[in-house]
Amino acid sequence: MMLTLLHDNLDYLLWGNLTRGQPGGLLLTLGISLAAGMLATLGGLVGGVALCMGGPRLCRVLDTLVQILRAIPVLMLIFWCYFLLPILFGIDIPGVLTVIAALAVINAAYLSQSVKAGIDAIGDGQWRAAQALGMTRWQALRYIILPPALRAMLPSFVNQWITLLKDSSLAYVVGVAEFTFVATQINNREQVYPLQIFGLLAIGYLLLCSTLEWLGRRAGRMPA
Amino acid sequence: MTPPSWLGQGWLAPHYLGWLLQGAAMTAALALCVCLSATVLGVLLTAAQDSKQRWLQWPARLFCSLHRNSPLLVQVLLWYFGVGGLLPDQAMQWLNSPHQLPLPLGLNLSWPSFEWLAAWIALSLYSACFISGELAAGLRTVGSGQRLAGRALGMSEWQIFRFIVLPQALRHIRQPLLGQYTAIIKNTSLTMAIGVAELSYTSRQVESETLLAFQAFAVATLLYLLLVIATQLAGSQRSAEEPGR
Repeated sequence: MMLTLLHDNLDYLLWGNLTRGQPGGLLLTLGISLAAGMLATLGGLVGGVALCMGGPRLCRVLDTLVQILRAIPVLMLIFWCYFLLPILFGIDIPGVLTVIAALAVINAAYLSQSVKAGIDAIGDGQWRAAQALGMTRWQALRYIILPPALRAMLPSFVNQWITLLKDSSLAYVVGVAEFTFVATQINNREQVYPLQIFGLLAIGYLLLCSTLEWLGRRAGRMPA
Repeated sequence: MTPPSWLGQGWLAPHYLGWLLQGAAMTAALALCVCLSATVLGVLLTAAQDSKQRWLQWPARLFCSLHRNSPLLVQVLLWYFGVGGLLPDQAMQWLNSPHQLPLPLGLNLSWPSFEWLAAWIALSLYSACFISGELAAGLRTVGSGQRLAGRALGMSEWQIFRFIVLPQALRHIRQPLLGQYTAIIKNTSLTMAIGVAELSYTSRQVESETLLAFQAFAVATLLYLLLVIATQLAGSQRSAEEPGR
């Protein structure tokens, strides 16, 4: 019985109504995570470098912003984006983009702190050595500081990507048809195997997160 | 000057603010219960992973990696729909009807709703795994030379743990543990998905009733900030009182 249920719903669970041009399910979860992950990584790098290189006033503003973002739940931020983005852009924003924006912003805030910590961990001597060679501050950052710092940051980046992948399930609350939402839809329709359906859902995420973790560990071991 | 149209008309009526405060109280109560149970469970998990018994080590590790690598929301749904569906009908009926536990001084403690219980269990198990991770990291900061020194002084394993390892580890654990407690406060927001009337849930409710989205979310965000800041202040106060630092 469980097998027939799985067989009937597997397509929907994996990619939603893709044939009708509405990607959903696992595919949408991957899409949201990938898009938000790239934006968050970029934002985290820019933010972290700004925290290290910027003037005191910029740093204070950024720091306060990061502290506030870290103190509110991701869900609350999704609500804010839902409300503010259409006002900001003057057009209707689809739910998927709202969730991507919220996830990108909050994870960029967390990552910017890891990036700053990673840069700070490189000793002062390296900066001075680069200066002695006649490099500017930005050249030193680009060629001397960032390469080893980024390698050291990789584990915290991977952890943050895993968190982001897990948090993409919050899109369920605002009705975006990703993996979790689709699974609850199937559960509401079938009403017979809740434990199996949600168990399967958990296993799906588990496989994704473990793969990411494993890839991160492999990349960390690779020679420079 | 007229306010911009997106701000809506007027401010929240007092009884809506009351809803939000009730939501914040629910968030605080749930978070407090989770912090307590997750800490106890986290200590047990750390002890199991640290033990020399294989049959204790592996289940604890598996338990943690399963919980850490799947979304909390899915775990909440799993407990609410999945495990809720397994319970016999009578048990569900009992859980869904109100019960009171009379306490002295004329107080009554009412039995929590099934949503609340599912949320509490799911959050506790999830948070315990993260807490045990922090505890284990704290214990690792104490070098093995210290344990050997303790043994050379003729201390028992328990004495070594109690008088040498624990006092040093606690110092390293405090800050990360505070971070986990903050995370618990934020994570209670996910329980709105199963209908626990906490702060996020009530802010959504107020928003849909009044259409004053900005006001509702602003008050809720401020209340979250207050809860988080209060937690961190309480934590740093305790560490300032600690002698010998």
